[in-house]
Amino acid sequence: MAKEEEIRESLTKQFGALEGKIRIQRARRMWAEVEPSDFETVLDYLRKSQGFVILCTMTGLDKGENLGIIYHLAREDGIMLNVEVTVPKTNPVIKTVTAVFPGADHYERELVDLLGFKIEGLAPGFRYPLTDDWPEGQYPLRKDWKLDPSLKTGKIEES
Amino acid sequence: MSLVSKAITWSRIKSPWILHFNTGACNACDIEILAALTPRFDLERFGILLRSTPRHADVLVCSGPVTRQARERLIRIYEQLPEPKFVVSVGSCSCSGGVFNGCYNMMGGVNEVIPVSAFIPGCPARPEALIDGVVKLLGSLQATK
Repeated sequence: MAKEEEIRESLTKQFGALEGKIRIQRARRMWAEVEPSDFETVLDYLRKSQGFVILCTMTGLDKGENLGIIYHLAREDGIMLNVEVTVPKTNPVIKTVTAVFPGADHYERELVDLLGFKIEGLAPGFRYPLTDDWPEGQYPLRKDWKLDPSLKTGKIEES
Repeated sequence: MSLVSKAITWSRIKSPWILHFNTGACNACDIEILAALTPRFDLERFGILLRSTPRHADVLVCSGPVTRQARERLIRIYEQLPEPKFVVSVGSCSCSGGVFNGCYNMMGGVNEVIPVSAFIPGCPARPEALIDGVVKLLGSLQATK
């Protein structure tokens, strides 16, 4: 647990706001909660100075009134640090992390399509993974979304 | 019926050519369909040939629940089959949607989009069940000859 403690200390020394928000679950698994205003600098610091070069995946959460994202970062020696960011559902705006992790592009597009985030700085492109004729404003993976029967378009006319 | 049309009907029943199309399946039913065409289970003894274009086929064998994107492609392929045509849906996903029924991107079974002649259930459908279903389809063609 020595390495995890080292990481926790260096993070709290660099960013005072993270005091008490970093939790060590067991060997090689750590969790941190970060404010959405400056989480990009935290990820940048983790990548450049602490060696967390691998972004495993991103998990989107629907917590009732808030929406959350968890960034699962990993290091070469197996330590995983899960950074959680929470934004209110009425204004789910968040900055992109493709400057730090270019591979986050696909995950962010999924969050935009399926959970309704608005991600600033994402390069323009096709919508992914929903189809091009999916109506705007419908976010299927939110807990309060119901399937609209008109989305199940019907049979062809029989001749 | 004239001799020519009798001959045509006879050839349609004794040698139906199929086209296989996967509308978003997990591929298990596709593997079973191809296994049924191999010499061990031998669907080819009924004169069935697997064709690569819908314009040569009599029967469209579909697997998988129909996704929103596959729906237009499926309709286009169905319209390219020459009359008289039949559709066989293989597996529980194409019969009714299976585990994916009600998901945000799925239309449901294949019969939500095109008319189906034979349903073969199973997850995945066994090759023996496939042969049974095909024999029943050919028997019904014989009855309405």
